[in-house]
Amino acid sequence: MLNIPRKLNPDAADAFYVRSLIRSQFRLAISVALGFLLLLIGLAVIGAAWPQIQEIRLATIPLPWWLLGVGVYPMILLSAFLFNRAAARNEQQYRSIVEQ
Amino acid sequence: MNSTVSLLAVLIVSVATVTIAINGLRLSRTTGDFYVASRTVPPWWNASAIGGEYLSAASFLGIAGLIVVSGQDGLWFPIGYTAGYLMLLLFVAAPLRRSRAYTIPDFAQIRFGSMPLRRLTSFLVIVICWLYIVPQLHGAALTLGISTGLPGWMGAALVMGIVCMTVLAGGMRSITFVQAFQYWLKLAALAIPTVFLLLHLDLQGQSATLGGAIFDVEAQQTTAKGLYYNISLLVALLFGTLGLPHVLVRFYTNPDGPSARKTTAIVLGLLTLFYLFPTMLGILGRAYTPELASSGNADATVLLLPGRIIGGTAGDALTAIIVGGAFAAFLSTSSGLVVSLAGAISQDLFQGTVRGFRIATVMATAVPLLLALGTNTFALAGAIGSVFAFTASTICPLLLLGIWWRGLTSTGAVAGLVTGALSCGSALVLAAVLPTTQGSFHDMVSQPAAWSVPLAFLVMIAVSLGTKDRIPSRVDAVLARLHVPEQSHDRNG
Repeated sequence: MLNIPRKLNPDAADAFYVRSLIRSQFRLAISVALGFLLLLIGLAVIGAAWPQIQEIRLATIPLPWWLLGVGVYPMILLSAFLFNRAAARNEQQYRSIVEQ
Repeated sequence: MNSTVSLLAVLIVSVATVTIAINGLRLSRTTGDFYVASRTVPPWWNASAIGGEYLSAASFLGIAGLIVVSGQDGLWFPIGYTAGYLMLLLFVAAPLRRSRAYTIPDFAQIRFGSMPLRRLTSFLVIVICWLYIVPQLHGAALTLGISTGLPGWMGAALVMGIVCMTVLAGGMRSITFVQAFQYWLKLAALAIPTVFLLLHLDLQGQSATLGGAIFDVEAQQTTAKGLYYNISLLVALLFGTLGLPHVLVRFYTNPDGPSARKTTAIVLGLLTLFYLFPTMLGILGRAYTPELASSGNADATVLLLPGRIIGGTAGDALTAIIVGGAFAAFLSTSSGLVVSLAGAISQDLFQGTVRGFRIATVMATAVPLLLALGTNTFALAGAIGSVFAFTASTICPLLLLGIWWRGLTSTGAVAGLVTGALSCGSALVLAAVLPTTQGSFHDMVSQPAAWSVPLAFLVMIAVSLGTKDRIPSRVDAVLARLHVPEQSHDRNG
């Protein structure tokens, strides 16, 4: 089951490229996660700090219900789409350096 | 309410599940077949299967009930369930696929090469699966009781009986098709009744929201849980998802890292589509079954709405559709969990023999059934929230640090897992024993994720820093395997 990559002692340059790939993927993941969390916190704070927002209604339903029940989801999908594109680009970059 | 139609729906779903499972026996049986199948399973198909397995009783019945009880606060639950998959996509999906781990204990072994850590992880997986199955059985008991009037324990016994049979037959799990079908079945079973209910109200000239009055009521009677509770719940849901044992196993079916990412993105789309309907039904519930909020039976909202709004034969037919979908939810989630559970038990207790797997399956179904029969039905969404808190305090730090930090040692991992499990577990037990009081202390123990997750991370990091000399020598090779894109170091994946 343990199928360790062939190069058990990758040379220094290779190890360096792998580490910078991991670092850039991590930075990407953290920034998307933080951006999304800030959005959620923002929504929670708006609801708590501005109760009159409940009076803004669309088809009898208050605006916060629209935001939390519907509006958040396109944001999740957009985050996922942007992340997938950027992650693939990071990998592409790594590949083009290593396979030169 | 005419219970015959509902009973018929339960029987049809049960018979269909058993039939497909037994026929599936011929199609694929081993993890090897599962792996080979991965070459031909397109991402959207795989994504439907993940959605089918993930959408459990808590999603199908619990969310609408929660919206009836807590109003706007209830909307955070589906957000958490969905955003949990976003976290899984960001931090776990591609690296985990590349690790070629089939289960979480496999990952622990690949990453650290430590048998004690593997055993500890298996133990935690077993606890998590048991705790996760119990609310499914409570859901089954509730559904059967409400829709047919039969004693609730029969629903729980029926679900576990069918799951035990299908898993013993060896089908179900390996068939991506069944789980994929379950997603669309569950979606249809909520979408069709929702559309009919809304149309009916529209034709009658009635307002689905009583002209918006139901949102005013909420402002008066504040059952709001408070900021700490909501934040803690979100932490649990966001970080609990990426450690769920039955979810991880599905990622193995993706051929490579990028397709694992693509699959997860499609799962997000499918969850978004699904959660529209429990939310709408919850709003209808606030208008037409508001008395359920105080009766402690709010999880029945979805089941009672058609009878309340339309009634007659049409109401019975719509109820039957929902009941069928609900049983599909209990069956698919439970069978996914039982397979993960039986795999973990048999691997570590019976050295992975076929006979061992059979004994393990019986153990895997009997224990949660006894637990479910011995405990009272409590709010489904809340019970699942506790399981997510436990996963987020244990498996989540292990996966996140194991994938992204080369400094994690097996000693650190063990210390963090034990800390997370003990602190979160004892808090949840304390919350169950203590009398329910509205207070910050009760919130702290009943929803511990906000402090137990950071605690587990801190212990894992601190102990790893203290045992730096124990960093496995092959850590760089393992991390390279997790993160380096497939084509450049292994063209055959």
